[in-house]
Amino acid sequence: MFDRRFYRHLDWPLVAAVYALCVIGVLMIYSTTGDAARAAMARLFLVQIYAILIGTVALVICLSVDYRSLADRAQVIYAILLGFLVYVLIFGVVRGGGRRWIPLPLFNLQPSEFAKIVVALLLARLFAANQKRIPSTGNLVVGGVMTAVPLLLIWAQPDFGTPVTLVSVLLGIAYVAGMRLRVAGVLLALAIVTAPIVWNYALKDYQKARVVTFLDPWRDPRGKGYQQIQAQITVGAGGLWGQGFRKGTQGQLSFLPARHNDFIFSVLAEEHGFVGVLAVLGLYLFIVVRSIETARLANDRLGTYLVVGVLSSFTFQVLYNISMSAGLAPVKGLTLPLMSYGGSSLIATLAGFGLILNVRMRRFTNS
Amino acid sequence: MVTGTADGRRRTALRLTVFSVAVSVCFAALCVSFWYIQVLHNQMYREMAEANTERRMALRAPRGILFDRSGRVLVENRDAYVISILREHSKNLDQTMQLLAAATGVAESRVRDTVARHMSTPRYQPIVVIEDASLAQVSAVLARRLDFELPGVVVQRVPTRRYPSGGLAAHLLGYVGEISEAQMASEGLRSGSMVGQSGVEKAYNKLLMGTDGERRVMVNNVGREITTLAEAPAAEGRRIQLTIDYDLQQAAEDAFRVSGYAGAAVVLDPRNGEVLALASVPSYDPNVFAAGIDPATWKRLNTDRLRPLQNRATQGRYSPGSTFKVVVATAALEEGIITPDFKVTCHGGATFFDRFFQCSVKSGHGTVDLRHAIEQSCNVYFYTVGNMVGIDKIHKWAEALGLTGKTGIDLPNEAESLVPSSAWKRAHTGERWYSGETISVAIGQGQVSVTPMSLALTYASVANGGTRLTPRLVRAVNDGSGWKTPPAADAVVGQVLKPETVAALHDGLFLVVNGAGTGGRARLVGYDVAGKTGTAQVISLQGGKQAAGRTDMDLRDHGWFAFFAPKDNPEVAGVVFAEHAGHGSNAAPLARHIIETYFAKKAGRPLPVLAPPEPPPIKAAAPGVAGQDRPH
Repeated sequence: MFDRRFYRHLDWPLVAAVYALCVIGVLMIYSTTGDAARAAMARLFLVQIYAILIGTVALVICLSVDYRSLADRAQVIYAILLGFLVYVLIFGVVRGGGRRWIPLPLFNLQPSEFAKIVVALLLARLFAANQKRIPSTGNLVVGGVMTAVPLLLIWAQPDFGTPVTLVSVLLGIAYVAGMRLRVAGVLLALAIVTAPIVWNYALKDYQKARVVTFLDPWRDPRGKGYQQIQAQITVGAGGLWGQGFRKGTQGQLSFLPARHNDFIFSVLAEEHGFVGVLAVLGLYLFIVVRSIETARLANDRLGTYLVVGVLSSFTFQVLYNISMSAGLAPVKGLTLPLMSYGGSSLIATLAGFGLILNVRMRRFTNS
Repeated sequence: MVTGTADGRRRTALRLTVFSVAVSVCFAALCVSFWYIQVLHNQMYREMAEANTERRMALRAPRGILFDRSGRVLVENRDAYVISILREHSKNLDQTMQLLAAATGVAESRVRDTVARHMSTPRYQPIVVIEDASLAQVSAVLARRLDFELPGVVVQRVPTRRYPSGGLAAHLLGYVGEISEAQMASEGLRSGSMVGQSGVEKAYNKLLMGTDGERRVMVNNVGREITTLAEAPAAEGRRIQLTIDYDLQQAAEDAFRVSGYAGAAVVLDPRNGEVLALASVPSYDPNVFAAGIDPATWKRLNTDRLRPLQNRATQGRYSPGSTFKVVVATAALEEGIITPDFKVTCHGGATFFDRFFQCSVKSGHGTVDLRHAIEQSCNVYFYTVGNMVGIDKIHKWAEALGLTGKTGIDLPNEAESLVPSSAWKRAHTGERWYSGETISVAIGQGQVSVTPMSLALTYASVANGGTRLTPRLVRAVNDGSGWKTPPAADAVVGQVLKPETVAALHDGLFLVVNGAGTGGRARLVGYDVAGKTGTAQVISLQGGKQAAGRTDMDLRDHGWFAFFAPKDNPEVAGVVFAEHAGHGSNAAPLARHIIETYFAKKAGRPLPVLAPPEPPPIKAAAPGVAGQDRPH
């Protein structure tokens, strides 16, 4: 199953960049939660280290098994995923108003995080199987349905962040697979036309409030606009060089909510300034560009689409979370991949990079 | 790359390039955005972060301590806990108010009212919701703050006023209260400051207030203090030594308490104008104001028909009755209209301008000179002399002796005394003065209306030979470098009375107490007390008919006794005004107790103790007739 020769083709720079961000993430989690006064959170960084270790195992598994073999079993894996998502809806742990977790000894498993790579695997297989130059409408419809099923299950939890990342997986793969821009235009027009309907019937009041607050956070600075304003203050207070490790007042004095997960980048910006921001943005950009390079080098369309699928959700999440951290996007419960606190997210992301490494490693082999 | 045709490969490569470029552009845009926020606008965000995490807490300065003339503490400070809401740190003000009320047992409406009143103050300034909180309330708040339930609620220990003698000298000392909007505008003080609202506390507020300090603390997002960044200590207000003599003040108030009368007493040093005692009865306990008065007590004090909040000594105006006769006598002697030997024969009344004016003794006083007219308070004598002097000269000498306008005492809201003149009448009614009106004025009735303070000043002027002084309450101020005496107000010199005027007045007033006069109950053997009783009509005959529902007590006349002692070298002068005492003679024993206390203390003897209250001395009041007076 695994050829030791593959080690020679392992993308070590990408591995280094990924783990560098994991380490930075642990340090930032330590910075925001290491205070003895917040005893309940004091050990979160240790949990994150355990998650990295488990994620590394997942990464090794994902790169060890030929991605083509995995793609052959994509439907089975997809079925298992749906089983987990249904299980969560019935027996999951409720926290913060959502039923999303299955309790485990070290952390609570969030199956929706794994949906991104499972859907990427399934869609890559679907679009790669298409022999035509351009994906057929049938492909798009089937892909849409395959995406929609887990999406709706996750939406029902309710979780409105992850479904968007699933859509990005579908759009990313479809685009690279050659989806006509006309189709993209139709989808865009459809989105614009349905926007008022979604606004009036699909969005709940607090979601509408988020959008309104994003446009004018100072309408309710202590209430709905609080997070956005505090996030921006936190970033802005960092300056060029930052206030120093564990010295940022906004993060240390808990003015910023969810600072160890959703707003970890704001804390980084406060403590390490614009210089720290540039360094981390550079690492993320390196990972994205390097992964696109992997997609380009892939031995087959399946590999290309798989990389693009995994990368689409990753890139979307990175860009959205960092924009949100600076108050440039509405506040939404999306973690920053590799850095935010969260076992499932980290394990799923590392598993996804296992697939990307897998594709690059096997670029010289035929199935 | 094995992706089908070369064309397909090219298209995939192109799309990957587009993907790559789009992502790079997004990253570049993020870099620019962060540069904009972090580098270009760093200062603004840093200040916002500091405003988030720093709280400036005012440290209330202890007010200056007040002493009596011998160094006894009249007003001091104690520590109290106040509970405030800091809106800036309260994420949900509505919930905070609700929880705070529930935790402390204070009515929610009261908390809301307080906060609503202060909505215009800056959000970073704490709004004091509970003054002088109990330890149970403090514990309840602190326990909930630990649970993060009450962000934005702060507990502070602040110095608060304490009046160790309760209601003693309350009207003189005054009370403190939260600054009003008008005071904020005029005094440039910040919202929530405790300032003097009456008495010395108000008159000397600027000296007493001191300078508030400030503590800058770092707080977390639930408002809990993490550390103190800097602290500028508060500077205590100036200490002030008053001219008041605690024992004399106590004696004055005891005299009223034992007698059961409401009223006022003012005791001055006629040599320099120092106020030795100033009492107004009934009184109140200024301690109830010290940490914010509760609405029920405030309402009770304001609706009490005996008006305990009114300082009768400086704000009450009454007819002086026969005590006014010294003014008429002074005017007549000083203007050379009569000599002390000028005699009038009294047959129990006399007719002036076709109207009969009665004397107190229907059988008449016979022929009396000035001294005996004062002694016996003969109305006919003063009708006659007053008519000869005329209203304008009476007014002139009333002013010279300090009986018109304000005395200038260093207390707020002093009422103006009125002794009419022809010019005054013309200005106020547009009519000329009728000579017949002077007859009533000559015995202290009609439109004459004076405060006890101004009458005391008049008798001090008579006592010291005619020098009108400005009464003052401050003996010395300690500005931190020792006690300093404030410059005395300029006495009006040049108005000194002629020796024969002084001698005649002193003789007459001496006889009131020590001869056959009505002031015998103020006699103190060996101290040559001089004085004059007065009875002020409360209600006219006509008014009496309309006085349905009023008690007999309400209809009794007021009693005055104005005095000084010793006659030849006066050290103490003043008045006692006893509401509804019926006759001036009933005010005299109160004055005697004050004077006796003064001399006993001076001699180092034990202070006199008053006997239990006597039975009510007065029968049912009989309404008087306009233009007539019972000469007591």
